[in-house]
Amino acid sequence: MIVYTLFVVSLIVFAITQVLPADAAVMMLGENATQEALDALRATMGLNAPIWQQYLTWLWHVVQGDLGTSLRTGQPVGPVMFEALGRSLLLAFLSIGLMLVLAIPLGIIAAIRRGKVADMVVSLISYAGVALPEFVTATIAVLFFADWLKWLPPTGYVPLTEDFSRGIAHLVLPVCVISIILIAHVSRMVRSELVDVLHTDYIRAARLKGISRGQVLRRHALRNALLPTITIVALDVGYLLGGVIVVEEIFAIPGIGRQLIVAIQARDLPAIQAGVLIMAATYSIVNFIADILYAWLDKRIQYD
Amino acid sequence: MIDFTKRLLKTPQGAIGIFLVVFVLLVVVFGPLVAPHDPEKLSPLARYKGPSLTYWLGTDQYGRDIFSRLLIGARATVVMAVLATIVGTLIGALIGTASAFLGGRADELIMRTIDAVMSIPSLLFALLVVNLLGSSTVNALVAVAIAFAPGMARITRSVALSVRKQDYVNAAVARGESAGYIIRREMLPNVIAPIIVEMTIRVSFAVMLFATLSFLGLGAQPPAAEWGLMVSEARRYMHLSAGILIWPSVAIAIVAVGFNLLGDGLRDALNPRA
Amino acid sequence: MLEMKRRFFLAGTAAILATPSLGFAQAAAPAKGGTLKISVDQAVSVIHPLLTRVNPEYLVTELLYSNLTRLKVDMSVEPDLAESWTPNEALTEWTFKLRTGVTFHDGSPFTAKDVVATFKAILDPATASPGRNNVGPIADIVAVDDATVMFKLTGAYADLPVSMAYTSARIIPASIATGDLKSLSTKAVGTGPFKLVSYEPDRLIVVERNEKYYDPARPYLDRVEVQVFPDISAEGSAMMSGDIDIVSTIQPTEYLRLDGSDGVDVLRTPSGQFCNINFGCDTAPFNDPRVRRAIALTVDREAMVGFVTEGFGTEGNDTPLNGSYQFFKGVKQREQNIEEAKKLLAEAGFPNGFEATLVASDRPAVRTQLAVALKEMAKEVGITINVQTMPHATYLEQVWKKGSFYVGFYNMQPTPDGIFKLLYTSDASWNETRWNNKAFDALVNEARGTIDTDKRTELYTKAQEIMNEEVPSIIPSFFDVLSAKRSWVSGYEAHPRASVFRLDYVSLTADAPKRG
Repeated sequence: MIVYTLFVVSLIVFAITQVLPADAAVMMLGENATQEALDALRATMGLNAPIWQQYLTWLWHVVQGDLGTSLRTGQPVGPVMFEALGRSLLLAFLSIGLMLVLAIPLGIIAAIRRGKVADMVVSLISYAGVALPEFVTATIAVLFFADWLKWLPPTGYVPLTEDFSRGIAHLVLPVCVISIILIAHVSRMVRSELVDVLHTDYIRAARLKGISRGQVLRRHALRNALLPTITIVALDVGYLLGGVIVVEEIFAIPGIGRQLIVAIQARDLPAIQAGVLIMAATYSIVNFIADILYAWLDKRIQYD
Repeated sequence: MIDFTKRLLKTPQGAIGIFLVVFVLLVVVFGPLVAPHDPEKLSPLARYKGPSLTYWLGTDQYGRDIFSRLLIGARATVVMAVLATIVGTLIGALIGTASAFLGGRADELIMRTIDAVMSIPSLLFALLVVNLLGSSTVNALVAVAIAFAPGMARITRSVALSVRKQDYVNAAVARGESAGYIIRREMLPNVIAPIIVEMTIRVSFAVMLFATLSFLGLGAQPPAAEWGLMVSEARRYMHLSAGILIWPSVAIAIVAVGFNLLGDGLRDALNPRA
Repeated sequence: MLEMKRRFFLAGTAAILATPSLGFAQAAAPAKGGTLKISVDQAVSVIHPLLTRVNPEYLVTELLYSNLTRLKVDMSVEPDLAESWTPNEALTEWTFKLRTGVTFHDGSPFTAKDVVATFKAILDPATASPGRNNVGPIADIVAVDDATVMFKLTGAYADLPVSMAYTSARIIPASIATGDLKSLSTKAVGTGPFKLVSYEPDRLIVVERNEKYYDPARPYLDRVEVQVFPDISAEGSAMMSGDIDIVSTIQPTEYLRLDGSDGVDVLRTPSGQFCNINFGCDTAPFNDPRVRRAIALTVDREAMVGFVTEGFGTEGNDTPLNGSYQFFKGVKQREQNIEEAKKLLAEAGFPNGFEATLVASDRPAVRTQLAVALKEMAKEVGITINVQTMPHATYLEQVWKKGSFYVGFYNMQPTPDGIFKLLYTSDASWNETRWNNKAFDALVNEARGTIDTDKRTELYTKAQEIMNEEVPSIIPSFFDVLSAKRSWVSGYEAHPRASVFRLDYVSLTADAPKRG
């Protein structure tokens, strides 16, 4: 299934890069290249072959793990992209972590105290979270926490291996900015799932049997309500990877999103192809794991 | 219908949502008529002004009236977002319904392909599409619509399938009703409702996506007063006058929150249990 | 209380006593050591010294390589690898005496052979070096002996020593120039003040002091880290927080923000850098000089300086020269004149104006600002301009040198000849206006073979007059070059050329934070 996904993505991305308004040979040699030099390069790069043949050649190289050479820097694309992916994944995992720590309790509180002040407050937070695009929240966050309050470094990236505490300090703002929309989304989902579950006959019956509210909640309701959250979080990874593009651009984090933006701006076709493929693969793998996790937990709940 | 409206207005989300969305729609329709200034008129001597009686929300980096620009830009921003969402939904609904109708192998293949397309983040997908077509408002609209279509296709299909399995549909089939009657009277209303809810919420995502495309230099063309473009241009001047950044952001937030609230309100009203 | 006062007094005395000697020491010899962090606003995609195209790339190759000559901050030439130079009477042959005892980073000695091989590589069309058209009219170059080279030119040329300082005319070893030239895309073998430590195009480039640099005193720094900041506002924030020591180039809006910020010095120098509106002079309606002049007459130049430079610039007069260049004398300043513009348009057959699409790439953002402002100004005479922005790569591919109405952006060149031959003569490297004016060409060609300053100034002034009359491109304003540094950085100055940095003269004072 992942294989099929990647096959479709490879077709899409190859098609798009073929028709992008840019000439790979011109991009590589620059604006001062002579016609002869361009023709020679086109021939060596195989740009004169039929499209399907170019696609198959490219695909064959990709399958073998060779993602091509950057037209912009002349370096192999693969290692650069995977290193960048590592940085983005760190950002993504921290964001998901922060989101889970905040969104699930918020959702539960809102569901239990439905219609009360706590519910209102959680709603307010979640609506505020989806009110602005990341580039605006990021801008405001830098202005406020870095420029005015001077609590955190404004932008930049320091590898954790180089200086752990400074590295973390540089990650705080980007992680918060990415998590905001996720927190808003997931806390609402948890709330509505839990509200649904609390209304099922099965929970009502448990309550009638005299089991305490807290116990019902812990032993039955939460498990059923949190299960779908796994799927939602996995689907949100797609959104997360998109958000990473903007956040990395503003915070100068050399992750895969930023690599992709640079590649798209410079019409660095091999880099675009590799970047999109890697992003799609990441998303598919996360969802695949989520599916397995879901099935496994679902079984456990049934037998419980 | 009246009963439904009552239910919608009874929820706080629904009430506030309706209020905000109606307010935004009023601005869309009447904004350009009441704008006090020409939104593109440069005033070299009135740049970076704070709010005043002449310029209610101050002026921007060219000395243009921010208030007038917001009023006029509402059309470019909101109408585009709604249009993109509708187009995306229609494409998605078509694919989703077709997939559910065809069933079997075809359904499997279509859905797997949809999943594959969804594995490319929608922002990235929109980015690629706009780069392909060239940056303009219309192309951004196409990009957002295409980016939304797979998600809508999934939702439509699952709703259509679940509705098909409902007791009342089976009952209607058992009663010997015609297929046309069943689709029209039993299925359609129940399929459309969740899709409208989803669409409403997606409008706010569309506004964000448009704004983000503008931030990356791929959306509306200056000097358009599209709000996302206004915010992204303002980032360069915000240290000279915060208002340039704040007011269009507030406008975007109102639209985003409004449509979100309305969507939630609609969902609650349609599904009284939750 | 008394105790405290006394201690304070003693400490104060000690400080006063210590100051003169400290101050003297600093003036005499800058402190050695330390790591300097400098930011750039674009990726350093290319470190091949013959293929660089943008300022951040020039910055890095300037650290790693040397030219024959280099440009001082006052735009005059000083020796680098060449110690002295002399032309023949006719200015058609130039002899350069080279520095001896210099070695490349790989330990091999630097000789005249390397200079010859480097220039042959630059001039070879297959290399596709941007320097090819900018190093002067070189016909041949020969090594007279190990420490002397002679350039034979195709015609008289007075500016050759300046051309030798061109940003992509860095000297590389002959073994690489005639061998694996491509290998310089990922490594660096130069004679520059610093050696390459690591290279990540989109994040960080690190260089360390070259202990064998030909001047034992320089560089003062142990290490330089070049950091890439894609977002200019983020770059400004990093400067304010002290994360970086120098912002290589800043936009006027960020300059205003940093000005007055604690511990930050803003730097500003007038320059010949400009943004222009290019006309395709072979395409209707822009093939009619009256139409071009009419549009130029709609421009309110004072307002334009405000819109595109926030006041950090000077009014332009539709010629690429201003007071920052040598041999400059102004011609009559063009002012906004709507009546005259309408008259010209009517004469040209457009009494009701016309509609045209003006293309502006998205980098730097000032291109769009200029386009939007021109759109409003041209409205006055009935010309409808639709602004079309596009990603810079698309612009280079589809519009640059091909379009007939678009916004350009150019660094100041070292000489008037440099800018004219880059953009405006019929044989210009980037003849983007296709203006092809014979009288203008003749004046520029005569001036490049003229040594006498007054005579040369007169020729360039005549050339400017023709240009001002014909308007192949509107140059509404010039930019000042803006930069910023922490107060603990000493010896750094903003260079009018915007692509020269001279970081080997920079040092850190005792106030600088200690960094690994």
